Amino acid sequence: MVSSARMMTGNMAAAWGARLSGAEYVPAYPITPQTEIIETLSRWFTDGTMRGKFVTMDSEHSMVTAAGAAAAAGARVFTATSSQGLLYAMEVLFTVSGWRVPFVLVNVSRGLASPITLESDHNDVLAARDSGFLQIHCETCQEIVDSILMAYRIGEDARVLLPVLVNMDGFTLSFTREPVILPDAEAVKEYLPPYRPKHAFIRASHPMAQGIAVLGGFIYSYFRYQQHLAARNALAVHEEAAVDFERLFGRRYGFVDEYRMEDAELVIVMSNAMATRGKAAVNRLREKGMRIGLLRLRVTRPWPGEAISAVLAGRKAVAVLDQNIAPGAGGIFVTEIRSSLYGRKDAPPVLSYIGGLGGKEISTAEFDQVADDLRRVAAGGDVPPPRLLYTGPEAEKLHSLLHIAGKE
Amino acid sequence: MLRVRFHGRGGHGMKTASRILGTAAFRSGLFAQDSPVYGAERRGAPIAAFTRIDRTLILERGAIAVPDIVVIADDSLLDDPLVAPLSGLAPDGILILNSANPPEAVRERYSIPEDVRVFTLDVTEIAQRILGHRAAVSAAMGVLSCRAAGIADDVALSAVREELGEIGLPEALIRKNENLARACLAEADVTPLSVDRLGAPEPAVQLSVPAYDDPTVGTPSVYAPGNMPLRKTGGWRTVRPVINLALCNQCWICFVRCPEGAISLDEKDNPHIDYDHCKGCLICVEECPTKAVAEEKEVRTW
Repeated sequence: MVSSARMMTGNMAAAWGARLSGAEYVPAYPITPQTEIIETLSRWFTDGTMRGKFVTMDSEHSMVTAAGAAAAAGARVFTATSSQGLLYAMEVLFTVSGWRVPFVLVNVSRGLASPITLESDHNDVLAARDSGFLQIHCETCQEIVDSILMAYRIGEDARVLLPVLVNMDGFTLSFTREPVILPDAEAVKEYLPPYRPKHAFIRASHPMAQGIAVLGGFIYSYFRYQQHLAARNALAVHEEAAVDFERLFGRRYGFVDEYRMEDAELVIVMSNAMATRGKAAVNRLREKGMRIGLLRLRVTRPWPGEAISAVLAGRKAVAVLDQNIAPGAGGIFVTEIRSSLYGRKDAPPVLSYIGGLGGKEISTAEFDQVADDLRRVAAGGDVPPPRLLYTGPEAEKLHSLLHIAGKE
Repeated sequence: MLRVRFHGRGGHGMKTASRILGTAAFRSGLFAQDSPVYGAERRGAPIAAFTRIDRTLILERGAIAVPDIVVIADDSLLDDPLVAPLSGLAPDGILILNSANPPEAVRERYSIPEDVRVFTLDVTEIAQRILGHRAAVSAAMGVLSCRAAGIADDVALSAVREELGEIGLPEALIRKNENLARACLAEADVTPLSVDRLGAPEPAVQLSVPAYDDPTVGTPSVYAPGNMPLRKTGGWRTVRPVINLALCNQCWICFVRCPEGAISLDEKDNPHIDYDHCKGCLICVEECPTKAVAEEKEVRTW
C-alpha cells in the first residue's frame, strides 16, 4: 500500500473530508451507525484542530434546518445522519435545497423501520432522491473523503448552489477500516477556494430575505425549475471538478464506475459498498469465460442518464441489483435505468433483482443465478420477472427464528 | 357554460356566496362547480372564488380568467392592481358590485365597455340595517349572482339556508340573512345571462421556457429592503379607526399594539394613523383606555 495511506473507517474518512474542506459549522445529532463522525468532529472542534462552531441539536429536523441557515449566511457547513434521522429531516431537506444553499450532508445508509434494523440498504437515501440534494454514492473509504471534497466544489459552484448528500453504507464502510490516502491540505485549498456566495449571505447594511413564500404557480414554477436546471448543470460541473481533482490528487471519478466493461456483453449494475462483492463476482465469472462487467452508480442526482445509456447500450443483457425496495413496485434504480435506455434501438434487455436489504450478504450462488439469467436472456430467452436474491440456508435460519418467535 | 368570479376580502363571505350559487345551480338540475382561492388566510386580505355552471359535465377547474359574471363585495377592490377584479370580464358580461356609487359612475371611472351590464347596490348599508351589525354579505351577493345566472329566486333562497346552515349559523341569523337576500333581490334589476352561452376563448399566448438564471436572480430571495410600504394595505379596511386627540391621554398603547406599525407619534407624542397601511383590524379601538379611537364605516368617495 502507498506509504502515505493510513487505516481508517468510513466514518473517520467522512470526518477527514469535513476537516480538510475547512467546514466552519457542524450542527450534529447522533444516530447509529453515523455517530463516530460527529464524535470525531466534536473532538477536533474542541481541541482547536478545526475552527468554527460545533453545535449539538435537538433533532435531525433542527440539524438540517441549522445547516441550511448557516449555509444561507455564507458559511461552509457539514453535517451527517443516517436512516430514520434522514427521514426525520425530510421536510427540511426539500426546504433548504430550495434555498439554493450548498453544504454537505453525509448519510450513512441503514435499513429503515419497520422492522427496525441497523445494517445497510438504500431506502433511506433514496427517500431523499427527489429532495433537490445532489447525491454521490461511495464504494470505498477513500471515495468518501474524495467525494466530500468534490461535493463542496460542485455544490458551491454558482451554476449549481445545491446541498449534496454523500452516501456510504453503514457497517461495510462506516465501521470498516481500510487504507485511505488523505489529500494534501494545501492542495485542497487550491481545489476548494473559500465559499464567497453572491446570492445568499449575511453582511452588515445588506439586508435580504431568503427562502421567501410565493403565491402563484407561475412564480413557484420558475424557482422550482431553476433548481432543476441547477441540478442538471451539476453534470458539467462534476466533470470539471473530476478533471481538477485528478490533476491535484491523481484519482479520477466519473458519474459511474466502469469495472471490466471494455468488452463486456453482460453487465451487472450495483451501487455503494456491495459493488465490491459484485466486482469479485465479475472476476470469478470472467475466469469461467463470461464476458461480464460491472457498472457502479455513483452520481445519482443529477441522474446521468445519457452517460449510463451510453455505457449500457449495445450490451447483450443488463442486470440491475437494487439494494432497496419500493413496496408494490420493486427496485428503484432499475426503473431509472430502463427509462434512460428507452427508445434506443440498441437498448439491452434489463433484468431486475432486489438484494442486500438490511445488509443481507449477496452470496456467490446468488451472483451465479444472476449470471445464469443474464446468459439465458443474452441468448434470446425471455426476461425473467423481478427476483429477490435470497438463499436456502437463509430461509432455513429464518424458519428456525420464526419457530423461536412462536410463529408456526 | 356560465363562469362566475367572486371577489371579496377575508370576512366578506364571498366563498360562501360562490357556494350559494353552486348549490342553487346544482339544485336547479345543472352541473356546478365552485372553489375559492386565498393565501395565508387573513381578515381583509383579497380572496376570490369561482363558480361554473353548465348543462353538461364541466371539464374545467381552478381560476376563471374570462368570467361572464363578476361579483365584487367591496368597491375598494377595483383599485387594487394585484386583484384587478374586472380583468377578462366578457364584453357582454355582468358586473355586480356592492357599492354606494351608481352604475354610471363605476362605468365611467373604470372604462367599462358599454355592453357590460353594471349593477350596483349598497349591500353593506342594507346588511347593517337588517342584520344590525357589520356582517358578511354572502347571502346578498350569493342571491344576486343567482339572479344574474338565471336561477329561480326560491332555489337561491333555499341555497342560502343550506349554505349558511352548513357553516353553523344559528337559525335566527339565517332568517335575517334570508331577509337580507330578499331585500337585495327586490332591488336587483338584472337581466340574466343564459347558461348556454359560449364563453370567450382564452387569449392566445406564446410559450416561454426559462433558462438558468444567475443565482442572484434565480434563487427565492428578496434583495430590495423596505418594500412593504409599496403594498398599500389600507384598501383592506372596511371600517376606519379615527383618533379623537381631545380624548387621547398619550399613553401610546395604540402605537404599541398596532400589529402593522401603522400608528406613529408626532413630536408632541400624539398618535396618527397611516391610512395607506391601516388594515382596519380595530385593535387600537379595543385597546384604547380612554375610548379615544372611534370606528367609522369606510366610505370611499371618488
